[in-house]
Amino acid sequence: MTNGWIDIKNTDMMLIMGGNPAENHPCGFKWAVEAKLKRNAKMIVVDPRFTRTASQADQFLQIRAGADIAFLGGLINYAIENNRVAKEYLVNYTNAAFIIKEGFKLPEDGLFSGFDAATKSYNKSSWNYQEGGNETGKAVATPPMGVAGDIPGGAAPGSIGSVKQSQPQGSAPAGEHGSVTGHGAEGQGYQAQGPAGAKAMGGGPIPPPSLPPNIAYDLSLQHPRCVYQLLRQQYSRYTPEMVSRITGIPQDQLLKAYDLFTSVRINGDMKKVATIIYAVGWTQHSFGTQIIRTAAMVQLLMGNVGRAGGGVNALRGHSNIQGATDMAGIFDILPGYLKVPSPTDQDLKTYLDRITPTPAKPNEWQSFNYWSNTPKFMVSFLKAMYGNAATKDNDFAFNYLPKVDRNYSWVNIWNDMYEGTVKGFFAFGMNGVMIGPDSQKNIDALKKADFLVVCEIYPDETSAFWQAPGITPDDMKQINTTVYRLPGAGFAEKDGTFVNSARWLQWKHVALPPPGDCRLDQDILAQIFLKIRELYQKEGGKFPDPILKASWAYTLPEHPSLSEIAKEINGKALADISDEKSGVSLKAGQQLPGFAMLRDDGTTSSGNWLYCGSWTEAGAMMQRRGTEDPSGLGIYPNWGWSWPANRRVLYNRASCDLAGKPWDPTRSQVWWNETAQKWVGNDIPDFKPDSKPEEHMGPFIMNPEGVGRIFVPLGAMADGPFPEFYEPIESPIDNPLHPNQSSNPVVKKFKTAMDKYGTVKEGYNIICTTYRLTEHYHYWTKNNPMNVELVPEPFVEIPAELADQMGIRGGEKVKVTSARSDYIAKAMVTKRIKPMMVDGKKLYQIGMPIHWGFLGISESEGRTSKMPANRLTPTIIDPNAYTPEFKGFLVKLEKV
Amino acid sequence: MSDRGTLRIQQISAHPGPVAGEGTQRQDKVCKLIDTTTCIGCKACEVACVEWNDMPFQTTYFDNTYQTMPDTDWNYWNLIKFNEDQHDDGSFAWLMRKHQCMHCEDPGCLRACPADGAIVQYSNGIVDFQQENCIGCQFCVSGCPFNIPKFNPNTKKVYKCTLCSDRVGAGLEPACIKACPTGCLHFGTKEDMKFMAENRATQLREVSGFQNAGVYDPDTIGGTHVIYVLHDATKPERYGNLPAKPRIPLSFTVWKDIFKPIGLFGAMLGFVGVVMHYVFEGPRREQPTPPVVRIDPPPPPAGKEN
Amino acid sequence: MATSANRFVHRTNVIDRLGRTVVYAGELLRHPVYTRFLHWMVGIFFFLALLSGFGIYLPWIFRFFTPLFGGGATTRFLHPWFGVGFVIFFGLQALNWLGVMRWTPADSRWMKHIKEYVTRSDSVEAPETGFFNAGQKMQFWEIVCGCIAYVITGVIMWFPEIFGRILVAISYVVHDMSALIMLFGIFFHVYLSTFGEPGTTQAMTRGTVSEAWAWTHHPAWYHEITGRDPQQALKQAEAEMAARERAND
Repeated sequence: MTNGWIDIKNTDMMLIMGGNPAENHPCGFKWAVEAKLKRNAKMIVVDPRFTRTASQADQFLQIRAGADIAFLGGLINYAIENNRVAKEYLVNYTNAAFIIKEGFKLPEDGLFSGFDAATKSYNKSSWNYQEGGNETGKAVATPPMGVAGDIPGGAAPGSIGSVKQSQPQGSAPAGEHGSVTGHGAEGQGYQAQGPAGAKAMGGGPIPPPSLPPNIAYDLSLQHPRCVYQLLRQQYSRYTPEMVSRITGIPQDQLLKAYDLFTSVRINGDMKKVATIIYAVGWTQHSFGTQIIRTAAMVQLLMGNVGRAGGGVNALRGHSNIQGATDMAGIFDILPGYLKVPSPTDQDLKTYLDRITPTPAKPNEWQSFNYWSNTPKFMVSFLKAMYGNAATKDNDFAFNYLPKVDRNYSWVNIWNDMYEGTVKGFFAFGMNGVMIGPDSQKNIDALKKADFLVVCEIYPDETSAFWQAPGITPDDMKQINTTVYRLPGAGFAEKDGTFVNSARWLQWKHVALPPPGDCRLDQDILAQIFLKIRELYQKEGGKFPDPILKASWAYTLPEHPSLSEIAKEINGKALADISDEKSGVSLKAGQQLPGFAMLRDDGTTSSGNWLYCGSWTEAGAMMQRRGTEDPSGLGIYPNWGWSWPANRRVLYNRASCDLAGKPWDPTRSQVWWNETAQKWVGNDIPDFKPDSKPEEHMGPFIMNPEGVGRIFVPLGAMADGPFPEFYEPIESPIDNPLHPNQSSNPVVKKFKTAMDKYGTVKEGYNIICTTYRLTEHYHYWTKNNPMNVELVPEPFVEIPAELADQMGIRGGEKVKVTSARSDYIAKAMVTKRIKPMMVDGKKLYQIGMPIHWGFLGISESEGRTSKMPANRLTPTIIDPNAYTPEFKGFLVKLEKV
Repeated sequence: MSDRGTLRIQQISAHPGPVAGEGTQRQDKVCKLIDTTTCIGCKACEVACVEWNDMPFQTTYFDNTYQTMPDTDWNYWNLIKFNEDQHDDGSFAWLMRKHQCMHCEDPGCLRACPADGAIVQYSNGIVDFQQENCIGCQFCVSGCPFNIPKFNPNTKKVYKCTLCSDRVGAGLEPACIKACPTGCLHFGTKEDMKFMAENRATQLREVSGFQNAGVYDPDTIGGTHVIYVLHDATKPERYGNLPAKPRIPLSFTVWKDIFKPIGLFGAMLGFVGVVMHYVFEGPRREQPTPPVVRIDPPPPPAGKEN
Repeated sequence: MATSANRFVHRTNVIDRLGRTVVYAGELLRHPVYTRFLHWMVGIFFFLALLSGFGIYLPWIFRFFTPLFGGGATTRFLHPWFGVGFVIFFGLQALNWLGVMRWTPADSRWMKHIKEYVTRSDSVEAPETGFFNAGQKMQFWEIVCGCIAYVITGVIMWFPEIFGRILVAISYVVHDMSALIMLFGIFFHVYLSTFGEPGTTQAMTRGTVSEAWAWTHHPAWYHEITGRDPQQALKQAEAEMAARERAND
């Protein structure tokens, strides 16, 4: 979340889409309710089903699963055409005014410029800004169609231009970097059903093209190749008619919703704020990242990012998913969203040069470019990893880190195992067989593995994969996988932190000790590690150093305490250091107060720069329980600790106008204090604290441009600098925008015999989606009688009209078949899903919760078909975040 | 609510004589406010209820709905009723209502109960069953307009929501209130809750476009200590058979309180009658048979028909 | 139906063989053992049901009854079973007595003269009064009706979860009313079989009544059993005496 849970109460307008917070985040949803009660905020819910969230909405729209980009593109189009955009914000805080290189082409035919059909990938060099300077007013013989008249020039560029021009000019290639709206965690979706993906991997043997240091711009927004005009042109194709054809939402409802959402910005008035709330309903598509980007663009266009009650807010699917991502639960990042080294990074310098961005902006503007501190973060990280073994002479042991040569994302791992290259598998804190996609493929993959280690608190389907339905005792004899089951500890049986969606680190205490022979997960991991290290010591090996020299300085090496680890992650000074600017000085061994103190000379260590400040000399900030909220904005600065630097709302500089005054004085987060000559506020300013408004430093300090990216240049996205609507891989219709390029062109399909994809021609004519229920937590609570009492059995939700047609009554068993496999459960015939008209065709959607497998209370009572729902889902992944397309695939439905 | 931490009894079922300490101290009436318009059907209240009251789990069955079970049960006092509410004009709503004891000001269960002290009403308004006094007759079941008391065939006792009188008695809010994540549940004095509810209803009418929004606090039973805010207060039936005008059957009011004593008195008149008869008329003594002047033939043998 | 007045006609059964009825000279057999057995079983269950019911009916008056039955819950548990006993034994008695309880024109005539019965204007009952008089028959049929009401309403209240709250609420009233009527009747039954008409009790204890009692209260039955018609005989005797006097004159 750019904002936080409590901050939702400050909003005036909510668009909840691709998420079902009332069901999956009921505790957080209280703030949405609070906004309705206290601010008369409106709520628009867009979902394939009428969910419990929809029951709270002022307006509900039933959308075809996967048509989200079309809906949001239409919203952009509506906002532009009806002058409901934040003009000053747009011009000054986003790259709307930046001019794009000639040669860039919009995807009228479904493809951006640079597509290589052979590799199914883009050459992104044309997706770049034009070098130059101020082009304002110098436009163009033929003024482009547009609303140029509506857009004032923003800050007078001339005056700004005269302030300062001292940025270093493109000394090094900027490389591929940056994220959609800033911090890596936020621009992307995270999917709850599997480990998440991250940004596209950069790298490759050829140095990639870089951003120009001095970007050409047109503050009148009239240049035909300025981002704003391209945006306008791109989404002018998303007319209400077209959007209605694609999404299945009737035009009148669509326009009503657009009007309602954009009503916060009538005539550009900046007082009100709208938020967009989403979850894995957006991420789990073959274009999931792009849906979220579209939302980010809507919010930038309307000036809602960085403001209390605004933002783009990803609701994380687990209590600690944010923490898992921050701490590199993904193959292509290191803790703190540092990129993993690639084989071309032969030394630390090459690597740092590749990943450290340099400012790229109009010369007259400033950019903080916070990622320029990457070397400090990286060296401190290496010191935390390897301690004294990391010295300046050995590049701080940079070469101990693995160099990642290809895609090791979730679905790829299983594919590799299926193809026999992955031979062993450690499953901690997840149930891989159930997660899917294509559970049967995962089961078959495990049959080929040599060993499987599962650490769980219940016997789970992954550790019992050899007992899956359909496997006979004879078949079992053919399975040679050795399975080790390790009894882990439940969340209440260990201390440590959860990092919630709002980026808060909150410490929890042990409620009760693990029962029986169960052990704490960190103890299990530590003991495995120490055993492996012992083996390396004894037997040597190809490259034992990364194991032998890893820092393991815990009081009890076999039982590392989580508070020790938390302190290690925060980091400490390794020598006496002092910071001139802030006047802080530290003795060797003292905890660091924040990431501003990090050094790239090996005098500091920090396991994750983002968490630096969470456990300081003042104590465990993550354990704070202060309930003061002087501003009334729900900031609670003394409760827990929020990364980065205890900021509660990211990019909060954007909550003020150019002069540093809040857009809405009743929701003052930060502001420029003229007397003190610095940024102050109720929240911690997410900005260079002493940067005067006249310097025109962009609020989006994590981007080298300093501004929010409506157009994403270069390689940050694999499939286009603007989102384009593509059909899901399994779609009932051809893309009405460009039938010849129906689905995402850069999506690659897996090629094994298990990877099958269905079409309408083969009879797969019903759209199916999967989801979770309030009453259950993934594949755990099927073992808990209370949860089982609440919802005892799996079901398939079927529209009443379809059920009538097929003669299905509620409670009867139905079989859902996809190209992969089938699934049997009872029918829930409901009026909450209606048939819809999509591209002139009447279509039906069905859906099913995922919570049942072949082990559990109802399962052992024989009340289920013992089939994981993810038997049905396709092995298709988003090219940016590698999230599987769990939402919106094709099935057949029949009565059993 | 300085005296919130105590429970004083106001009414006792089937109890002769006065209630000890009655009227000695004033106590605020408590009230649970359920804003159905912000209920998300998450069932946290259901779980909190089961757990706080330590009730045994039971097996439930899929019934084409998200609702946990068709109705509350002796070990399940708190149930969210899910109602798919389709209208002819195409509008659709999914109404969720937390269903539990309404703690009527004039409780039909207490009226119906024949067991001394099996049902009490505290002076804060909570109606509470005292199972040790319950005789298992289940009259309370038919006395209740909301179908709340549920009989356990094993213990032969009737159970229902206590409004967590044990918690309230200790100055805490009921468990369901504590668990509710959206703030759709509130607990406080009846006066305050009524005020909040009316404000919310006004907001719904004026801001959210629910013309018929209102508060459910039916006066046919003297009001309730659990009140609802409804999107459409004119048709509470839409919320899973919530009666618009709940009533206690006349059996437990007119018959039980008025005609029963009169009837008993009437029956006792029989006793008075026979005594009077004995006194004024006297018994009929057997009369000697007149003298026999002729021997009649012997009587016919037993069993003979003629 | 002359013989219907004869209460010995029922098929003797085990109960009859278990007990004895000794008929002394000057006595008549009125109720055989089986009838007496049923009567007292009905009586016992009636009072058990009545007293246990009292505690439920108006607990604020009759709460002292419930401890006698083991407390409220046990009382509630037993009451229906008492009722079952009452209804079963009364049902057998009803079958036993079905014949003699049939309403006859003589009963209607008896009813017309009920005032004379109450005020004892005649020393003996009307000559056509048989084994049971109309008052007794009325009580009998009232109990039959009451039992039917008890069974229906009792079962409904016993298993309310099956029948629903409205039926229970109605049953509650009907059951009560039936009990009140029966209670009202039982005073007369007890009074008339004890103080009101001495000599009656013996009919249900030893099973016999004196001939005088029989002739006083049930002349037609007396006539039927003994073949004597005291009224007729009296008249005849008077006539003969008168004739003798005339002859003596």
